[in-house]
Amino acid sequence: MHVGVEVGGTFTDLIAVDGETLVVRKVRSTPANPEVGALNALDTCGIGMAQVADLAHGSTVATNAVLERRGPRVAFVTTAGFRDILFLQRQARRQVFDLAYANPAPIVDRASCFEVVERTRADGTVETALEPARVAGELVPALKAGGFEVVAICLLNSYVNPQNELRLAQAIREHLPQLQISASHDVARQFREYERASTTAVSGFVQPVVDQYLLKLEAELGRRGFAGAFSVMQSNGGRMPAQAMRRNAVAALYSGPAAGVMGAVYQVGKSDVRNLITFDMGGTSTDVCLVDNGAPILTSSTEIDGLPIQTPVLDIVTVGGGGGSIVWIDEGGMVRVGPQSAGADPGPACYGFGGTLPTITDAQLLTGTLRPDRFGQGAIALDRAAAERAFAPIASHMATGVEEAAAGAIKLVNAVIVRAIQRVSTARGRDPRDYALVPFGGAGPLHAAEVADELGINRVVVPPRAGVVSALGLVSSEYRRYATVTRLLDADSSVGEIVSTFAQLRRDLCDEFARLGHPTDSLAFEHVLEMRYKGQAFEIQTPLSQEELGSLSAAGLRKKFAYEHNRALNHAGRPDAPIEIVNFRVGAQTRSAKDISLIGAAGEGAASGGDGKEGRVFVGGSWQECAFHDELHLGAGATITGNAIVEGDTSTAFIPAGWTATRDGSANLIVERN
Amino acid sequence: MLSSIDDAIIAQAIQAAAQEAGLKLVRAAHSTILREAQDGSAALLDRKRNVVALAELIPVQLGAMGVTLRACLAYYPVETLSPGDFLINNDPYEGGQHLQDIYIFTPIFVEGRIIGFGGSVAHHLDIGGGNAGLHMAATEIYQEGLRIPPSRYNIERDWNGGPFERLLFSNFRVPHETIGDINAQFAANDIATLRLVELCGKYGVDAVVACMDRMLDYTESRVRSSIRTLPDGVYNGHDAIDDDGAGSGPIDVRARITIAGDSIEVDMTGTHAQLDNNLNAPLASGLAAVLSSIKMVLTGPDVPFNEGAIRPVTIVAPEGTIVNPKFPAAVRARMTTANRVYGAVKDALSKASRDLATAQGFETTTVIVLAHRREGGFSICTDPQGGGFGATRLGDGCDAVDSPMTNCSNSPVESFDANFDFFRVVSARLVANFGHGRTRGGCGYARRYRILRDGVDFGMYSDRFARRPKGLDGGSDGGLASCTLYSRDGTTRAMPSKFHLKLNAGDEIEVILGGGAGLGDPATRDRRLVLRDLRDGLISQEVAREVYKLDVLALAG
Repeated sequence: MHVGVEVGGTFTDLIAVDGETLVVRKVRSTPANPEVGALNALDTCGIGMAQVADLAHGSTVATNAVLERRGPRVAFVTTAGFRDILFLQRQARRQVFDLAYANPAPIVDRASCFEVVERTRADGTVETALEPARVAGELVPALKAGGFEVVAICLLNSYVNPQNELRLAQAIREHLPQLQISASHDVARQFREYERASTTAVSGFVQPVVDQYLLKLEAELGRRGFAGAFSVMQSNGGRMPAQAMRRNAVAALYSGPAAGVMGAVYQVGKSDVRNLITFDMGGTSTDVCLVDNGAPILTSSTEIDGLPIQTPVLDIVTVGGGGGSIVWIDEGGMVRVGPQSAGADPGPACYGFGGTLPTITDAQLLTGTLRPDRFGQGAIALDRAAAERAFAPIASHMATGVEEAAAGAIKLVNAVIVRAIQRVSTARGRDPRDYALVPFGGAGPLHAAEVADELGINRVVVPPRAGVVSALGLVSSEYRRYATVTRLLDADSSVGEIVSTFAQLRRDLCDEFARLGHPTDSLAFEHVLEMRYKGQAFEIQTPLSQEELGSLSAAGLRKKFAYEHNRALNHAGRPDAPIEIVNFRVGAQTRSAKDISLIGAAGEGAASGGDGKEGRVFVGGSWQECAFHDELHLGAGATITGNAIVEGDTSTAFIPAGWTATRDGSANLIVERN
Repeated sequence: MLSSIDDAIIAQAIQAAAQEAGLKLVRAAHSTILREAQDGSAALLDRKRNVVALAELIPVQLGAMGVTLRACLAYYPVETLSPGDFLINNDPYEGGQHLQDIYIFTPIFVEGRIIGFGGSVAHHLDIGGGNAGLHMAATEIYQEGLRIPPSRYNIERDWNGGPFERLLFSNFRVPHETIGDINAQFAANDIATLRLVELCGKYGVDAVVACMDRMLDYTESRVRSSIRTLPDGVYNGHDAIDDDGAGSGPIDVRARITIAGDSIEVDMTGTHAQLDNNLNAPLASGLAAVLSSIKMVLTGPDVPFNEGAIRPVTIVAPEGTIVNPKFPAAVRARMTTANRVYGAVKDALSKASRDLATAQGFETTTVIVLAHRREGGFSICTDPQGGGFGATRLGDGCDAVDSPMTNCSNSPVESFDANFDFFRVVSARLVANFGHGRTRGGCGYARRYRILRDGVDFGMYSDRFARRPKGLDGGSDGGLASCTLYSRDGTTRAMPSKFHLKLNAGDEIEVILGGGAGLGDPATRDRRLVLRDLRDGLISQEVAREVYKLDVLALAG
């Protein structure tokens, strides 16, 4: 039995799969003690823990610790002259025209920042060696007096040569063995001292929080007879055994969105769809990610609460458009949608929980794509009169009926999603028409075909049980780790060093997997060089396949980089412009053969096209006939033509006129333009 | 007014196109001034030469794009342009700001006719002139670099190894970087063009062109409704530059603002006569400062900038003053003056509405240029600096951040270490030189450079070495900036705010950037914040006790 448990802010989702058995469970999260929510889900799903061979977990524990600044006391130590690195940051403002602008608040206060005398040059030579005796005499007493639990170390140029950092860590450990040490060369061996220092400090801060959380959870699982493999989802789309997260908690900050992408990739992969754009639309926001040949695009850094984190994460673009997004009229008379959301409380007006503002969910109800008595298979009765009242001011402003106003709001939120998709596709030199659109989350499949229409995409693939694709991603994903190192090299004269640096990183990863007890001969590797024309400050990711690496030449690398530069920035440099390598990144992941099905018994319904009850939807400016189908009664081979709605227990899909949907043998709904 | 849903969608797509072009301009840039300082912008302009959408990267580039294009089209009318042509202009006396800002425009052809322009501007590291990067001794524009009058060239014929590219190449000190940045500008124009053509394909040319018109009307109406919230009247604002760089000052900047209904006139009569140095600000810089002030103080960030924002604003800038200098005045350090125009307008607006008032911040652009000539060419580094923001009614002024009119990132110390062999940053720290108050000013900071080679050019212009940022409603004034030279022979010398010097290996120089002023009575400040600042070493026990009236003993007990 594979079990995935995702602890979100409001709900904890569980999915348990084993052959034809499928259990889906949603319980309230318990933010004060998140493991309680996770255990509640496990205790009520009706599965004995002894049967569970594989338990994958994702949570917002690390994220919340940072957002609420609840965690251990962290000291920060750096090179003399630079104790304020975390406060000086990068000097630019994110909101350019805001006079009340404030810098992101570091997780360390200024009184907890210390200096040591030392200096390493950019070429790695040590100009001033660290003196352990001075550390013992000056820093150690200060650390002792401050009552710190963690010390984060980031010394200048330690990405080239960590010698002084290692000596410092050693000196601290000798005197204060109980202190946890987070050293920058170990956490993020990349240049740019502020970003590395920030990553190191946040990593040191979340590590004990995650450790304690996982310990508690593991103990409780043990009490319930669990003896299987326990793993944790990371922001890079792969899992790691829980014990490995002891060194790597910062990699788990955005496990939720990453799990969604991996679930979608896995599920549509069964239908041989490998080039796709995922779009996860929930209550407040939509996450979009582009997947090339089964591999989601990665980016080398992210941030939390404005603080930079140098760790590879799935390149997910988030925009403020979801089912709960509020529709409003700005001072200039323009109709707008979001980014404010009614959230779960008070929620859309039609929920009847006290919300009065019009939302996208209200708009769906008014246009008939959501039915009052069928939302979440009847879990919440929707109040159409409340939705009408909420939309009345918008309709009166637009001088139309409420249905037109609602349809307009849906068009606007679709435009927000379209722009997010353009940011991951056209803005990165990729044509969205070469990809299938894969919607999930409660609201995604309702909008997908219309979004596809705007982008000229001809194929939408809706996974079954689209509302729990994220939980599926937990159990479907592989173990994955990345190793990154900065080495500033001239691209034309470094072929040998490129090959040997990659080989070293691969060996490091193999060692790590071996320590975790995984066979290393079946690992799949990916190699990326982050490069730029000399003088530039932003690097372009240049992936190299195993074959390309085997026959690497300076000319070949130059060509490859020029191609990627042109794709990203619409031009390439002169053929002789000097090119610089900045970062090397290697990813390693396990390869296993899993068969996880999201539909308990695919084909449990008739293959005829289901039970298509007739109804109406408001599209294209008028009420039109529409067939309503039950997702669970739509068997393999069933074909339906738009207008049609497919209602499921976790999500609703809309197939407009001009599109045809077929349920395939993998239970995916393949929706194609006629 | 944008009321139809399609209009809203097209408008947002046009704005996104400008933003994408601007982002890629910065990402592709070679020189630190563009890539780190983001001193550039990209825009979509309509066929009538109005900026319709602008990548809002840096406030000082608000406004100038339309004026420089109009200057080009006065010589080369729209109907004479062919595909492949581009227009280029960096002339401060033809709509530009200073020679370093080169404006490039590419006509957008749809169905055989021009429906608009992709435009971009970038601050270039070096464009020739008397000194690498920054010539502080310039008294006329001829010494400041190459002037490119409004011109038309063709990319096939004149660029990519053609005569115009070669002309620029041979006049600039770091030509690979500069030409690389100009190529990034062409690419940005192409992206804006591509996106607009795509939109026309989807919605039709007529719908897109009509939407561009309505976008201007929309922004105009938003700005007008903001102005309408102010009471009619005449309000006088003032700010001043310390001195002219030779010790003579202050140099006054005045803004007399008249609010009449939904229009605003900014009259800068009474502002100091133009100077014999590079502090003069061409009209476009003053326009940007006025618009930035209005946008920051009055309209809020969600009003997209375009030419419509200019319609309700009239600017009077008497000729022969530092806000409208006569040819051939030098203009390189125009930011210093532009910052004071911003301050004077903000001062006047705060008299029109007390609620809008904030304490003064450091509000000074400090440009530091380090350059070294070696075998085979130059190595140049521009390191622009900010300071502390003024306190607002909502909270403390931001610590150590770039000044409102600009938005430059600093460069990582490790990036300097890897790229420059003739100097090094040896310390960077916060300085608690802020004004106290119920909300306090933002911290300034200090940067110390050590010179590693002989014969290094060190040029700098800054301000507020003598005149403090003013506190508000009982808050105290912010702290001053300063600069100290620690020579290798052991002597120490206080430097002025504007200078150029040759330095040698072993010399060190420290620049302290000023902090913002405070707002309100410090005795009413949240005690937890006073304690935090005390713990963080930003205020002393004595200041906590005497200024903030913190009962330290009671708290300890």
